Amino acid sequence: MTALRRHWLETVAAVAVALSLFRSMTVAADVTQGDVQRIMYVHVPSAWLAFLAFAVTVVGSVGWLRTRDRRWDRLAASSAEIGVVFTGLAILAGMIWARPVWGQFWTWEPRLVTTALLFFIYLGYLALRRAVIDPEQRARRSAIMGIVAFIQIPIVYESVNWWRSLHQTSSRNSIDTPLRVTLLLGVVAFTFVYAALLQRRLELARLEEELEIRHLDSSPEVAGAGITAPALSTGEPR
Amino acid sequence: MSFWRQVFEITRKDLLVESRTAEVVTMTAPFGAAALILIPLAIGTDAPLLSDLGPGLYWIVVLLFGMLVILRKSAVDGQPQRDLVRLLGIDPAARFAGAAIATSALIFTFELVLIPVLIVLYNPDFGSWPWLMLILPLVAIGMGLLGTIAGGVTTGLGTRVSLTPLLVVPLSLPLLLGATQALESLRLGRSILPWLVLLMAVDLALAVTGVLAARPLEEAVT
Repeated sequence: MTALRRHWLETVAAVAVALSLFRSMTVAADVTQGDVQRIMYVHVPSAWLAFLAFAVTVVGSVGWLRTRDRRWDRLAASSAEIGVVFTGLAILAGMIWARPVWGQFWTWEPRLVTTALLFFIYLGYLALRRAVIDPEQRARRSAIMGIVAFIQIPIVYESVNWWRSLHQTSSRNSIDTPLRVTLLLGVVAFTFVYAALLQRRLELARLEEELEIRHLDSSPEVAGAGITAPALSTGEPR
Repeated sequence: MSFWRQVFEITRKDLLVESRTAEVVTMTAPFGAAALILIPLAIGTDAPLLSDLGPGLYWIVVLLFGMLVILRKSAVDGQPQRDLVRLLGIDPAARFAGAAIATSALIFTFELVLIPVLIVLYNPDFGSWPWLMLILPLVAIGMGLLGTIAGGVTTGLGTRVSLTPLLVVPLSLPLLLGATQALESLRLGRSILPWLVLLMAVDLALAVTGVLAARPLEEAVT
């Protein structure tokens, strides 16, 4: 019971995902696309989650710049990592769906290309974090990049409207209610998964930071630290 | 010294350094021109096809080779130079603005030098020249701002040379799309206003972010 209380978010996420999967597999198939359309119940929530995760990264970045509190930096970094994973999942699910529907895994379609670039932008963000060793500098530099990177999000979102393309535009009002409910359930389930993953990743980030500090405190002196420079000669005769 | 005077002096300093070596005109631009010559050998030398693809290839060359301009700028500003400017009491926002203006000017020069090469080799149809003269600086400003922010973020890092392009190239998507779509609209006789607005909005967003982030960036590289 205690374990359940401690892991309530994971439990809710697991139940929500199970419900969502069950619903995705049992709801009537799309008339034109058939069963392959069911991939949308993973693809759309993954894409939504990626946007949410990157929005949280901006919030964390701004929060850090305003308060200099490490927790904001951990939030930004953890959320970006999850966002990258779900962006990858959205691209992968989209490609699996595209093969039978469009006849190929990849097309030069604006939403696809902008999403792939979004993936690389946040890979760059994570690479920047790995490149800076000092925690304070890492937080500062990545906070700025976290804000700049978000410029891409509205472009990805609006790409299907700005450039007429193969990709479907927003289908909120054009799909049948059972399909809409299933999609919504997927979005809710994935949001719980995000919250659970974020909670765990934040905890891990805190522990990593503690370990880093402990390691720095206990690290032995650098080689040669005991060697002192010889006194300069005054040039006077002894 | 007023803020704008500081901006002017920083810009002047950066452009003076460039004018002494003329690296953009004598090295980077010929490198870009060589790429424009090589591309048709890889994709085929069909004249109508090259005329169609020319503007797009031009923007790709500007984007990728413009990275050399951006990297060059951040390599020139070493720790002693940064310390000196800091000791002189220059406002970080003025430093950012001055550096961004200088980088934008260098990228604009790079764009201008490559235009005749593009025309000779690809014979593209631009539709309207005056509009092109508006698109070129808007893209240069965007790249200059983005490059200055990314250059600031990666200053002093061992991985700067590989990390800066990874940060800049995917983020320059709106600039590339705005530029290519504006030229395409010009060619087809359609309005290019939405694309100009996109370019201006991106430039404005980057300028505001860069100015606001200047002080934290300054602290990051101290």
